[in-house]
Order: sequence, then C-alpha cells, then structure tokens
Amino acid sequence: MSRESETLTETIAVASRPEAGIEKKRFSLLLWMADRGVIVFTVLLILAAVIFIDGFATLPNLTDVFYRAAPIGIVAVGMTFVVISANYLDLSVVAQVATSAVIFIGISNEFGVFAAVAVASLVAMLYGIVNGLAVGFFKANAVIVTLSTTFIGLGILRWLSGGSIFFGPEDGPIRAFGQARFGPIPLSALVLLLVTIILWFVLTRTTFGFAVRAYGSNKSATRLAGVNTTAVVVGAFVITALSAMVAGFVLAAFSNTAVSSMSDGYEFRALAAIIIGGTSVFGGKGSVLRTLLGVIFVSVLTNILVLSGIGFGFQQMAIGALIVLAVSVDALARRAAKK
Amino acid sequence: MSTAEKQPQTTMHLGAARGGWFDQLKVTLARRTEGRGLALLSVVIVAAAILEPVVFTSYQVTLGRVALIGLVALGLTAVILMGELDLSVASTLAVSGVVMASIPDLWLGILAALATGLIIGAINAFFVVVVGINSFIATLGMLFALRGLAFVLSDEKPVRLTDIDAGIAFGAPLLGPITPRVLLFVLAFVALQIFLTRVKAGREFYAVGGNRQAAVDAGIPVRRRILTGFLISGFVASLAGIINTLERTAADPTAGSTVLLASFAAAIIGGVVLNGGRGSVLGTLIGAFSLGILQIALTLSGVQVDIQDIFIGVILLLAVITDPTNLRAALAGVRSSLRSRERAQTPV
Repeated sequence: MSRESETLTETIAVASRPEAGIEKKRFSLLLWMADRGVIVFTVLLILAAVIFIDGFATLPNLTDVFYRAAPIGIVAVGMTFVVISANYLDLSVVAQVATSAVIFIGISNEFGVFAAVAVASLVAMLYGIVNGLAVGFFKANAVIVTLSTTFIGLGILRWLSGGSIFFGPEDGPIRAFGQARFGPIPLSALVLLLVTIILWFVLTRTTFGFAVRAYGSNKSATRLAGVNTTAVVVGAFVITALSAMVAGFVLAAFSNTAVSSMSDGYEFRALAAIIIGGTSVFGGKGSVLRTLLGVIFVSVLTNILVLSGIGFGFQQMAIGALIVLAVSVDALARRAAKK
Repeated sequence: MSTAEKQPQTTMHLGAARGGWFDQLKVTLARRTEGRGLALLSVVIVAAAILEPVVFTSYQVTLGRVALIGLVALGLTAVILMGELDLSVASTLAVSGVVMASIPDLWLGILAALATGLIIGAINAFFVVVVGINSFIATLGMLFALRGLAFVLSDEKPVRLTDIDAGIAFGAPLLGPITPRVLLFVLAFVALQIFLTRVKAGREFYAVGGNRQAAVDAGIPVRRRILTGFLISGFVASLAGIINTLERTAADPTAGSTVLLASFAAAIIGGVVLNGGRGSVLGTLIGAFSLGILQIALTLSGVQVDIQDIFIGVILLLAVITDPTNLRAALAGVRSSLRSRERAQTPV
C-alpha cells in the first residue's frame, strides 16, 4: 500500500514543526477517522445489517450485493488513479460504461465478441486520451472537461443507438460469463478482485504509479523532476477509461441487455466509494485497496436501503450526503495535521 | 532607480507617438475577455441567418431560451469570478421548482422557492468557507443530494401547479417580445452588472478570484464575499426554477440537467476564466445569446436533442481548452520542452 509515502509525509510534517507531534494528539480521533475509519464503519455497518435487516444475511441477497458491487467497484478502482492525481474525478465514466455495454452486446450480436472487445477498447482509449490531453496538456479543469465529454459521449451513444435496448442471445459466451459463479460469489466479483490486484500493482510497484502519486501531491515538483506530466495525466484517464470499459462488459453480461441509461449515477457512487475509502480528493494520498473497502461500504449501504424499502430519491440523497461528509472529514483532518 | 522610474514613461510616450488610438485599442482589447464569445456569436448568427432565418423572426422563442440559459449562467458568473464553482445550480433549479409547486398559494410558493435557493447557497458556502472543501467536490455532492431531494419531495413525478392561470399569464408578453421571463433576466443582468462593476463588494469579487492571499492581506472579507457569491448563484438558480415552473405550469424533478451544461458553456465561452479573477457579465450575456440561438436554430431545423447535446458539449470542451490562461500555460510548456530538446541536440 502507500505506506511508505504516508510515513514520509508524516516525518516531514513532524520535522518541519517541532510541536506538531503534540498538536496532532488533540486531533488524533479526526485523523484516525479520515485514515482508518472506513474499516470500522464497514464492519459496524455489516454487523448492523446482519442484526437488524431481515433478509440481508441470506445467500441470494449476498450474491446480489456482489453482482451490483462488481461494475461500480471496477469503475471506482480505476477512477482512483484520477483522484490520486489530484484531478477531482472523471464524470464521463457514466458515458463510458454505457457505451462499452452497448458496444459489447450490440457488436457481438453482429460480428462476434472479439470484434466487440476490440471496438470497445478503441473507444475507451479515445475517451482516456481526450480527457487526459484536455486536463493534462491544456490544463483545463477536470470536472468541466469530463462534464462536457459525458454529454458528447452520451449524445453520440443515444444518437447512434436510437436509445433502444440491446438484447444478447439467450445462450452464448456473454450469458455464460454473466451467470457464472462459484458458490455465492459471481465471476464478476472475481473480475473486480483481479482488476484491483492489477491496479494495486500498477499504483504501488511501477514508476508510472509512483509518478501518479507524486503528481497528485506536488504538480510542479514532479514536472521539475523531469517527469512527463501530460503522459501521467493521460495514463490516469486511460486507466479509468479501460476500467469503465471492463465494468461495462460486466454490467452488460449480468443483465444480458444494454441501454444508454444503464449506468446513471455511477460517477457519484464510484466517487463516494473512493472518498469513503480514504483516498483524498486533494490528491497524492490513497490506494485502490482503500477504494475496494469503500465499494463494500457503499454497496452494503445501498443494499440496506433497498431492503428497507427506501426510495430512489433517498438513496441519492444518502450518497450525496456521504460524499460531502467524507470530504469534510478529510478536509478537517488535513487542516488539523497541518496545524 | 531613476532609470527604472523613467522607463515606463518613455515607452508610453513612444506608444503614443506611434499612432496612439490604435495601440490604446489593442491594450483595451487585450484586457477584455469576451473575444471567444463574440467569435462564436458571429459564427452562430451568420450560420443561423443562412440556414434557419426563422430563429430571428420567432425571436420570442429564442429570447426565452437565452433567458433560461443566461439566468443560471449569470449566477454562475458571480461564483466563478472568485475561482469557485457551483455545480449544484441544476438541482437547485429542480428543488426550488418542486418546493414552489407543492405549496398551494402561489406567492407563498415563490417565496419558499427563493428561500430554498438562498439556503442551498448558504450550505454550499458553509462547506467551502468553514469546512474548507474544494467547491468542485462540495457542490458536486450537493448536486447529487439535491437531485435526490427533488425526487423525494415530488414523489418522483412532476408536480402540477395549483394556480395554472398564473402560469399562463406569466408566459404572455408584456410589451413586444418582452415576456416576464425576459424582463426578469434583463433585471438580473443589470443588477449584477452594476453590482460587479460599480459596487465595492462586487469589485472585490475580482480581487478574491485574482489573488486570494492578496485579497486577504488587503483586508477584504474574503469569506463573506464567497458566501455572497454562493447566495447569488443559489438565488438566481431558484429564480430560474420558479420561471420554469410557471411557464410549464408544473415542476419536473428532473429539470435542469441540460441547463447545467448550457449555462456553464455560456459563462466559460463568454470569457469567465475558471481560475477566477477575470470575466464579465457582458461576456456571459454574449455566451448565453450564442448558445440560445444555436439551440433554437438546431431545434427548428429538426435536429434531435442528443445531437444538440453533442454540439454544446463540444463547444464547452473547446471553450475550456482555449481558456486563455490555460492555453498560455500549455504553450509555455511546449516551448520550454522544445527549447530543452534543442539544447540537448546542440553539441557543446
């Protein structure tokens, strides 16, 4: 994990201010909550669900939680790169997931699965490069850039697909992939695990991953150190786009259908998972394993809300409030650590 | 010391000698930020005049659209000038519309809706100023939470206005093409223009956006100015929600998602720099006009909404990429890397 970098920043903070160690103790609960709180909250949430919610601790329900967590988790794990590189988030994952799902079902119906995967990869690369160049090279604001690419992407998708629903064949590789599971654990959850492991390796064990974290904590220092910062940002967005593509495959295979509106709200759920996991929106600090924990938290919470019969509107409010709350804790902890 | 003092005088003198008015014009133009907006507006007007001249004969429709985009964009301008952002405007529009329609009495509803806008603005400002969250993330969370609130309050379906006659009366023109909506937009524009250029508090918005530390050092109450900015954008967004609800005689909880994109595009293409400190309400007006005319022209030509989204998305992307400060930074980066490559290639 990002253990080394965390201890390094702590050392610097302590060294730069002699009394920092004392100041820190007073805020230690806040700091601890921002850093490790998610583990306790997730455990508490699951315990509460097991005790109070009827039908939570049943195998069919847990399988359902896994099925729904997988695509959001894959998006969130990929998007962690953009957040760590201090570029807020990638709103266009909504368009990316839907596009990938429609391509996956629509093109494999006509030309086979391999052609579909090839086209989807090209589209994902395009998304990543356009977003990455606009943010990394033209230094434009990531929120506005990805807001516009969301509308462009969804517009193109709806225009070309006519907003219609695509159905996969009743028996085929996609259906088999979507339905495959080992006991209560669906194959898609294992895909999430695999993507997490790969991206964990990329973020912590490669030069690129190190550059992403360095860029997130100090942009100009990274540039002065001779790192090609444009490439770093483009890389972060490409990784997000490729993850969103895989999420689209998983989502399409699960329901064996694809429609342009199927990923509405994914950007917020993914962001919520990332921030709750403890990855900082201020950049530089975070890990994909944290995001995985955040995904579990958000998925269990959503499941609890659904099982309790709470409507769609309240769910959205809860996710929005969670984002603001988690960022608040992070911001306050950061300020406390600086004092 | 004395040479340094003399230096600017000489250059000024030389400049004046070399055809003064032209240089002065150049300086004035370089200071303005509306260039891209004007360029887009001219392109759109020429294209619309050739391809779809109906846009200008049915100016009532066009003005209505300009007013809708422009009103939200005006509020955004106040916030963006300070280097902050309010993404929650679209949901504020939806929530205040629903609040207004759920209250049977018309005027009470309008008051409640405006209060809703102000409260939302205050909440946004609280997170930005007191908690210290980046406004991009804070208002993004609010965008989602408020969209949920609109669904909850409306039970996930459009709420019909009790007083439908008032809505119909509201849509009727007062004088020529001036409907109450357009009148409100003009009033908001004039008020904000005066506030930002003639009032001390408004002038300080530019200082806050230009260099926050300097603004703090100069004794400007930065936190209060930011609060004012978010209150303005929340208030104006709720005003847009009220107008929307009156014109459609119903409040739609999903309203505002297309307005979000168009109003951001209007403000940014109009030259309001996202990092703050530069831009004008006039530019936003120009941006709103170009996008309004574009949207109506596309609608009248029978272009689908999806393709309109693509158009506006591309315009916003281009606008944010060609943001003057960003572009300068990007070009400087290229130049420095080219120079270092040259240096590497030249034998020592």
